[in-house]
Amino acid sequence: MIGIADVVIGLSLGSRLFLIAVGLSLIFGVLGVLNFAHGGFYMLGAYVTLAVISNVIDNFWIAAVVGALAVGVVGAAIEFSAIRRLYDRVDSDLDQLIVTFGFVLVIHETVRFIWGSGSYSIDPPDVFNFSVSLGGSTFNAYRLVAIGLAVAVLVGLWLFITRTYFGSLVRGTSSDREMAAMLGVDVPRLYTGVFFLGSVLAGLGGALSAPLQATSPALGDQVIITAFIVVVIGGFGSISGAFVGAMLIGMMQSLGPQFISSGSIAIPFLAMVIVLLLRPEGLFGGIGE
Amino acid sequence: METGDGDTGNKHNRNGDIERSSVIQSSVGRRRFLQAVGASTAVGVAGCSGGGGDSGPITLGAAYILSGFASLYGEEAERGIEFAKSRINENGGIDGRDVEVLVRDTEASGDTAIQQIRSLVQEDNVDGLFGLDSSGVAQAVAPQISQLQMPFMITHAATPFVTSPQGEHEDSVGNEYVFRDSNSLAQDIYGAARVAEELDATEWATIGPDYAFGYETWDYFQAYCDGLGVEAEFTAEQFPALATGDYTPYISSILDADPDAVLTPLWGADLTTFIGQAESAGWFDQIDHTLFSVGMGTDLPSDGSPIPEGEYASTRYDPFVPDTETNNSFREAYYEEYGTLPTYNAEGAYRALYLYKEAIESAGGTDPSALVDEFTGMEHSGPVGDYQFSETNQATVASIWGTVTYDDEWESNVLDPVNRYEAGPDVLSEALGDSDLPAGI
Amino acid sequence: MSATGIGGRVSQFGSAVAEGWTRERFGLIGAVALVLITFGPPFQVYLFTDFLVVALFALGFNLLYGYTGLLSFGHGLFYAGGAYGIAIVLRDLGPIIADIVGAGISPLVTFVVGGVVGLVLVVVVAVPVGWLSVRLEEIYFALITLAFGMLGYSLIIQDPAGLTNGTDGVIVLLGTVDLGGTSIRIGGRRLYYVISAVTVVAATYGVWRVVNSPFGTVCKAIRESPDRAGALGINVRHHRWMTFIISAAIVGIAGVLRAGLASVASPGLTHWSTSAIAVIATVIGGATYFYGPIVGAFIFLYIRWAISRFPTLEAYWELFFGVLLIAVVLFFKQGAVGGLYLLRDRLFGEGDIGGANGGGGGAFDAGSQVTTPPDEEAKSSNGDVRTDRGDNS
Repeated sequence: MIGIADVVIGLSLGSRLFLIAVGLSLIFGVLGVLNFAHGGFYMLGAYVTLAVISNVIDNFWIAAVVGALAVGVVGAAIEFSAIRRLYDRVDSDLDQLIVTFGFVLVIHETVRFIWGSGSYSIDPPDVFNFSVSLGGSTFNAYRLVAIGLAVAVLVGLWLFITRTYFGSLVRGTSSDREMAAMLGVDVPRLYTGVFFLGSVLAGLGGALSAPLQATSPALGDQVIITAFIVVVIGGFGSISGAFVGAMLIGMMQSLGPQFISSGSIAIPFLAMVIVLLLRPEGLFGGIGE
Repeated sequence: METGDGDTGNKHNRNGDIERSSVIQSSVGRRRFLQAVGASTAVGVAGCSGGGGDSGPITLGAAYILSGFASLYGEEAERGIEFAKSRINENGGIDGRDVEVLVRDTEASGDTAIQQIRSLVQEDNVDGLFGLDSSGVAQAVAPQISQLQMPFMITHAATPFVTSPQGEHEDSVGNEYVFRDSNSLAQDIYGAARVAEELDATEWATIGPDYAFGYETWDYFQAYCDGLGVEAEFTAEQFPALATGDYTPYISSILDADPDAVLTPLWGADLTTFIGQAESAGWFDQIDHTLFSVGMGTDLPSDGSPIPEGEYASTRYDPFVPDTETNNSFREAYYEEYGTLPTYNAEGAYRALYLYKEAIESAGGTDPSALVDEFTGMEHSGPVGDYQFSETNQATVASIWGTVTYDDEWESNVLDPVNRYEAGPDVLSEALGDSDLPAGI
Repeated sequence: MSATGIGGRVSQFGSAVAEGWTRERFGLIGAVALVLITFGPPFQVYLFTDFLVVALFALGFNLLYGYTGLLSFGHGLFYAGGAYGIAIVLRDLGPIIADIVGAGISPLVTFVVGGVVGLVLVVVVAVPVGWLSVRLEEIYFALITLAFGMLGYSLIIQDPAGLTNGTDGVIVLLGTVDLGGTSIRIGGRRLYYVISAVTVVAATYGVWRVVNSPFGTVCKAIRESPDRAGALGINVRHHRWMTFIISAAIVGIAGVLRAGLASVASPGLTHWSTSAIAVIATVIGGATYFYGPIVGAFIFLYIRWAISRFPTLEAYWELFFGVLLIAVVLFFKQGAVGGLYLLRDRLFGEGDIGGANGGGGGAFDAGSQVTTPPDEEAKSSNGDVRTDRGDNS
């Protein structure tokens, strides 16, 4: 029996996956970097948000924006100081993967150093912190907000990439970096900008998910592999693909426990293998689609 | 990295509180490190040093979860250790010798725990061992203990299979070196079935952690209900992984099955997270009774969502019952020191030190096999009450279940009313009926 | 190599040892060290065994990464395969084997059978997994191996066949051999160390032979330039597949040893974070050198152990390796072994010793050209403009 709550929960899980996967996908699509530390960014976003709420200002929305921007700055700094050095290497993509994996460890340990290894949880903002009963099942109203925000990000990002000048530069650079450089695009700055944007989205995902889950240092490691699955299924660089992939996995996570059977948690990985073998470019196209 | 990934075993040894200053500790570390380098370049080999002698302090080694989702258990145990240690040392120590405790982190991983315990025995030459929070870890550690030939007093991990002699059941790993001073899952869940007997509930479900402890809880509960003739149907079960972070899908799935009552052995931060998410999903409105089998161990130290009043929870030690001088003075002194009621983790660890004190003084030394002889069949008394070690090295403590009630005086949840179900070997074997599960006692 | 008689070989070896810091001298010192460690304090014996196992794990991994340029994030699958293979044999077949060969010797026979089963299991898994994975390259290869590793993790946890005991894993009890009144515990620290040391040295030698065979030369050609190798008529995909299988088998042997050492085969072994240990050890040690992963594993375990002795640092050892990993990739791609060579060159001057002992550490430099025999002087490749790693200092 699938209740309305199951669907809402699935979509809200998908929303949080989307926010992390879309940044990951964008960065890969434009820079060619598979950012292993993206899960760490997501976790960091949740922690900064919690810290701002408990130490600075007791307003969830302000704290979430601060959290997202702080992660963006961290991401841009990492791109600027480390990843940038690797673009010209022959096997740069593997070196980038290893370096970003190094940052997984650094972020994880830094968070543990500052906030400890316990877990934290907060309530959703008061306005939305009430239960909705629909068709016999109950869920928190904040989940609807989380879904709405994910859709807003999807639309906003799509408009940004397809309708703005910066977006056209991004698309151009992603398809031919040398040509873009020859046409006068400041590629290094554009790269830092895209990395910043992708990191902000991950941080925002972490911030918005903080009321829906326990925030602990393990959060990043748990979510990054799922985000990889989403990006592979949706297609590297595809915004709409990330959305569809995220919602698919979210629904699977929500409904899975009801139809538990041996091997069910293996299905996403099996799907990842099959898509990589048959359609390595993903089920959807590239940037801007 | 995540729980259970421990491949090569990390050694986050935390020094048991106040003893040995960090300066001394690090110089020891350096010396040993140089030895290691020496050994690897074939410059010779340093022998074991110190420890185990008849003078100087008695050193005990402890292994608890000090990091991750269940670190609050280790922190509670450390309090109990510190508390017992200062009390013992202020009152003449053990046979005139001070006691020191080295506390190490198991990270809730069997692999890590084994390496830590091996290091405690072989590097630090401890005189005795105690601790362990997780059943899975205890199950992996027990066979190692008999190889190390060092007594181990388990103070929290509850799997009955570590006090069920090897061979009794295919999972049994009990042996002469492994003891447990706290109650086991078999004892605890016996109490749960007794509670179930009284409740107006026929459809039962469970949501537990995805490892031995979660499954064993459910297996024993069904066996006891069968053995005691409780009218119960078992309609739904969910076993999310440890440190899941978001239980909503599992909660929703249980709610869809709409059972009358749920038994949950979730523990640590997982339990706190679960309670918060269950509340916002309307769990406590929809489900008549929820039984938290590890409830009070998490509820007291955690500052997250408390267990709602009126639900049932068990504990392995109750600060108010038995109403004895020992228990009352322990509770008062502990509260004065830490400002919270003692949890069962704290009490179990506290009692382990006193058990070692009694055994060492009675044996006149720290010879491991003499200590094992002392512990075997030992009668002892502590805050938890009077008990004896059974033939399988399990303490014959009671199963304690009660109704969660907020107490203004202590500013925390307590169990009131509370029931103690005697859970000795005969009672458990009978209640298990035809099941092939061992009583572990 | 002209001496054929044993006496001649011994005297040749002796003079080679006396001559200076030759390969023979290093070998002799290494062998003596391995023997001496047997008599060390128990914990050090244990730690060193741990190092040997991780070293073999990383060495097997690097056969693929260092020699064909394929970065696997899923080699934990084969590590776990070996471990579960022996663990399940010990649990389920122990009594049957005891019936056949008698109780006294059966633990030893079971151990050997378990090891062989573990290895066969790994190869059986690696053949199809490798065949599929080598269709992809670069980041896609890393992702598909990651997916295969996590697929294995999911299956072990969910245990559809009822073999792996879910999250708790399978306990490994090696047992005691009873022969005519004497009993020997296989899992005993020193005996297990000897078993591990012999196995690891033999496996390392095997890998070394593979690397220095014509097959290995082709692998290196592929790493340098898959396109050029393809143009030369090499079946790149087939070679990668074969290397994948050998690499997995070596990791499987390490997994078998791991199970006995840890006394448990746990699902965490196939989690990606375990696969990452091989990556960390290899990169820090120097992926372009044969001995890089071994040195990296040594650094990994002993630094971690040293950190653990300092209460204030203990909890943050991962931070240290994170920083080290970043620094090595960014600034010093040759890793620790490269650093040692650089140090040696600084100390002894560039030309003379380098020439005699380029292969002494078993090194082959990153830029070794297709035709360069591995034992030749490492520096011969410095002029190779296509060098993609290791030569930028």
